[in-house]
Amino acid sequence: MGTGASQLDKDSLLKYEELTFLTKQEILLAHKKFIQLFEGKKRPPELQTSRVPKHKIITVLELQYNPFRDRICHVFSTSEMNNGSLTFEDFLDLLSAFSDSATLEIKSHYAFRIFDFDDDGTLGCGDLEKLINLLTGETEDTSLKDDKVKQLINNILEESDIDKDGTVNLSEFQHVVSRSPDFVSSFKIVL
Amino acid sequence: MVQPAVIATDALPPLPAIIIIYIGTVFHHYNQQNNFAQCYWNWTLQTRATQTSSLETLEIDRRKTHHTNPYAMENPAWHDDRAGQRHPPGGHSGTDDATGRVPGGWQDQSWRGTESIPMDPMSAGAEGPSRQHDLIHSTFQNHPDSHERSSSTQLPSLISGNTTLRWRGVAMRRISLFPNADPSCVELTEEAIRNEMENEEQDLVKELVALSTRERIRAIQDLPMSFGEKKHIRSQVLAFKSSTKSQQFTCFADCSENMSLTFRRCGYSVKSARQTLQLWQGIMKEISGKFGTSVLSYFLFLKWLLMFNIFSFLINFGFITIPLLVYDVSPNVPPNMSFRGLEILTGVGYFNYTVMYYGGYSNETIVGQVEYNMQLAYFFTIAVYMVLCGIVLIFSMAISFKENYVLADAASESAWQLLCSWDFSITSERAVRLRKNNLRVQLKESLSEKTQRTRLTLSVKLKHFGVYLGSWLLSTSLALGCGASIYYLCLYEQQKTTDTENWTLLQEAETLLVPFVVSLMNLVVPLFYSLFNKFEHYSSHRRQIYALVVRNVFLKMSILGVLCYYWMNVVAKKFSCWESMVGQALYRLVIFDFFFLMLGSFFGEFLSNVIGTRLLPRIGVPEFDVARNVLELIYAQTLAWIGIYFSPLLPAIQIIKFFILFYLKKVSLTQNCQPPRRTGRAAQMQTIFIALLFFPFFVGALSMVAYISWSLTPSERCGPFRGLSNSFSVVIVWIHHLEGIPGSQWVIWIYRHVIRSEIFYFIITLIILIIIYIFWQVTRGRKELIALLRQQIVNEGKDKTFLLDKLQNLQKSKPKKPSKQMNQKKHTKHSSGSQSNSSAVAQVLLARQQFEGDEERRDVGGVPVPADISTSSALIQALMARQRAEDLDENVYQKPDNNTSSSSTFAQAMHDRERAKSHGRDDHYTPSGFSENPTNGSSALLQAMQARQRAEQDRGDYAHDLPSSVSGVMQAKQRAEEEDGIQWTAAPSLNPAPPGSSALIQAMLARQQAQNEFDDGY
Repeated sequence: MGTGASQLDKDSLLKYEELTFLTKQEILLAHKKFIQLFEGKKRPPELQTSRVPKHKIITVLELQYNPFRDRICHVFSTSEMNNGSLTFEDFLDLLSAFSDSATLEIKSHYAFRIFDFDDDGTLGCGDLEKLINLLTGETEDTSLKDDKVKQLINNILEESDIDKDGTVNLSEFQHVVSRSPDFVSSFKIVL
Repeated sequence: MVQPAVIATDALPPLPAIIIIYIGTVFHHYNQQNNFAQCYWNWTLQTRATQTSSLETLEIDRRKTHHTNPYAMENPAWHDDRAGQRHPPGGHSGTDDATGRVPGGWQDQSWRGTESIPMDPMSAGAEGPSRQHDLIHSTFQNHPDSHERSSSTQLPSLISGNTTLRWRGVAMRRISLFPNADPSCVELTEEAIRNEMENEEQDLVKELVALSTRERIRAIQDLPMSFGEKKHIRSQVLAFKSSTKSQQFTCFADCSENMSLTFRRCGYSVKSARQTLQLWQGIMKEISGKFGTSVLSYFLFLKWLLMFNIFSFLINFGFITIPLLVYDVSPNVPPNMSFRGLEILTGVGYFNYTVMYYGGYSNETIVGQVEYNMQLAYFFTIAVYMVLCGIVLIFSMAISFKENYVLADAASESAWQLLCSWDFSITSERAVRLRKNNLRVQLKESLSEKTQRTRLTLSVKLKHFGVYLGSWLLSTSLALGCGASIYYLCLYEQQKTTDTENWTLLQEAETLLVPFVVSLMNLVVPLFYSLFNKFEHYSSHRRQIYALVVRNVFLKMSILGVLCYYWMNVVAKKFSCWESMVGQALYRLVIFDFFFLMLGSFFGEFLSNVIGTRLLPRIGVPEFDVARNVLELIYAQTLAWIGIYFSPLLPAIQIIKFFILFYLKKVSLTQNCQPPRRTGRAAQMQTIFIALLFFPFFVGALSMVAYISWSLTPSERCGPFRGLSNSFSVVIVWIHHLEGIPGSQWVIWIYRHVIRSEIFYFIITLIILIIIYIFWQVTRGRKELIALLRQQIVNEGKDKTFLLDKLQNLQKSKPKKPSKQMNQKKHTKHSSGSQSNSSAVAQVLLARQQFEGDEERRDVGGVPVPADISTSSALIQALMARQRAEDLDENVYQKPDNNTSSSSTFAQAMHDRERAKSHGRDDHYTPSGFSENPTNGSSALLQAMQARQRAEQDRGDYAHDLPSSVSGVMQAKQRAEEEDGIQWTAAPSLNPAPPGSSALIQAMLARQQAQNEFDDGY
């Protein structure tokens, strides 16, 4: 397990560098972290195929307290079981989208998918309600009242739903995001 | 079996999704103005092509309506390369067997419909067999994929031709937008999709191959796909490349490939090394993890300023100090001078004779291996540094403004708060909890503010206004008072100081009075300002901060202005080596500013933390005040800029100061502060700060230095410019000197005709003004265009919602009577049904006309407005209206038997489609046409009706033998279409289209005509 760095040969490193926004350093660090997640297994894992289950992924400090951790795993997972488990490549994908040098387009695309809780391609009222609840606290006593949530959803739709169809679609979302310059700096997870 | 009513209600959820995808693509282009022209053409081409196929597309959508929201099914994401391993879930196929079968036929039909355009990847080769296959195998067809397809079928035609990679990105995104679509589908659909994907992929690969290596890597990185997909594309591109290369293999190509690979590796290593070398990376991460990006912006600003100072130190030290030190190592300190320790604070005495100040530099030309003119070096180094600083500031300000202000939309407050404000970089649990609480409070506040704003009475408004006025007056007078008191203090001090070289320790200590007072004012007065701020009622937090910032800036400006005035008008006249005196004063100010910054963080943060936690828990733990701290940094940097002329090595002090300050603030922050309660727009604030740094502070410093070098007489006894009337005359002397050297005439020419010529500046100014005017006009035009487009989108959206509402209402008001009765009342119902149906058809036509009209308008107008917006939504409208018409028809033709098979429904749909077609041609279309008795002359309609009848019989007689009924329907349909074609040609009076025009144009013309006739008829 300690020989994690040696597993990444030059070619695959170059490939990772070409396909993600990460630098060599970040890839190696990600690799180290990823190998650590396999602790307890006897054999060193196969990078291409082995998956780390979701409950282990979210123990990574950078994701641990993130309210969107489950969604993030879900969005970046290529698992056929749809259980949010990640391969190393998925993990790199995640870090790449959240890295400093990722473009606004990539970031907003993934942000949209993270916020799209029911995976229907638009942010409807249900998604927004979930989002509000997630952002303001899950417990009963701390979360906002229903009428306030409704009012907020209305405000959001009023401001960002340009074609007034009652949902925020990807382009509208990207429009909002492109007009809020803080997004790029805040949509960031650095290992 | 699925009841028609159920079908209709189920139709609702996915429909907006389709529309959204359409709108989505359109809207994406709304953001990219430079793509307008191309989009326009793409869309016009596409819409022309899909006009005929739009009906078919709708049929695909309709099939989907047999199910609820397809994405609700939690199934694994499908991949193009894994799709073959999928198999349909067994549970579905049983009940939906009959339903599934017919869509297969329709599916095929719809594909046939699109044959005319280069849209269907399998229309050429696989069409016949696939239909066969579909008819024979009664397999369940799933709908998410068809949905997917209906959205993506548009793409190939859209993209074939000269497309950009961005388009491709949109296309790919559309597909990967639904990664969790249900994978269970029959081979046909799957194959079609796979073909589709492969086609897309091929196109993408071709585009990528055409790019250069660097661009290609960039483009692949930019694809919003999973890693596996990207890898696949990359390998495809590489394979393609190598296959083309193998034909023209040369050693050179191989070598260059290897070289480029090596270079790329080097580039990555450099990138990675640069990242490692970045200062304070770990600390920055820790800060953003605990406090979020708004606090981080302070530290980034500090780091940025530190870089400025390092740069300025390097060039000053390199071009001014090192040559002097090489020439003459030991400072010419008088023998009775000794280092007493207080110099570190005051900067006088021993330092006065070192290279620290202006006075320590000589005016000689150093003659070593090369001649080095110290005067010129001093002048040009300072000048170049100031100009470079100005350029850097202007550029970073412009970029920052572009990103953060021009684009930013002040109106979208709550959308921003919820959609974009969550800081993913936060990693501590406490910070997450706090942030959630703060966000909740903030949201509540903003909601209550919205309701409150309307309830403000006049008296309350007057009261607020009075408070504003009072606090502004008070703060302004405070600033002016500070300035005045500092001026008089300086005058008082100046009377006491003499020009002697040996000051007593007390005299030396007295010089500390002014910097002490100045720094104290800088520390205390802002606290008063924050106090005023508490009494004022600002509608938004941002305004409050702006007011605070403006007041603080005013205070600092007045203090610095007074000091500069004093230095230029009093000190410059009194002291023999006045530049060094000013340098010392600035040194003291910089040092004292540093102490007070430390004190400030002690009092401002540590003490209030102690008070907040121990004594008055009500106040709470303090927050890190980014605005105040950044303004302090700006002030400190301004001192360094002013001082650069008087003390070239002042940046060295500044570097040390900022370095220590960084750690100090970091410790103070982590020990004393809590994350900010309000998450303002940090990026905008940062822009404001950069702008403030540039104007008034940098511009002020620059103008002061420029004034000194142009107008003030340098001291005669010390410094590089001794004996000159002003510093700038160094250049004049140099030019005179150059006149004697041949080959340097161009320098003289430039000097005479550019630097010293008014006409040159006049022309330059004129040109710049003209350019500004042109750009201003362009901006205005763009603004108008944006407003127009926005209005357009809103209008289209309104139309869409209107139609959707209508659709919903119609579905709600759908009578749910027993089907037997329905059958009996068939005739009466027919009339009403056809009435509303025809109105729906009319809407289709209207929508179409509307978009055509729009298009024409745009063609004529010459404005590059993308027609795709209106076009697409017109199309959507058409589709919707069409669907509504069909739903209505379904309603009307409810079958008497309860187990209405989908085949008969399907036949109906077919019939309806037929009818909609024939309706365009048939002007005396009467309710009787719907009766089983073929009185109507339209043979196509008749055929369809017969087909329906036969289908019904088939259902009754051979309930178990569905395929045959389906095939019957298919045949009927085909025949109907053939008849259709014959009729088209056989009725030239109705279609007076020119012989050369395509069938497409004919169709459009016929539609318009039909509408006219329709209007006449009703």
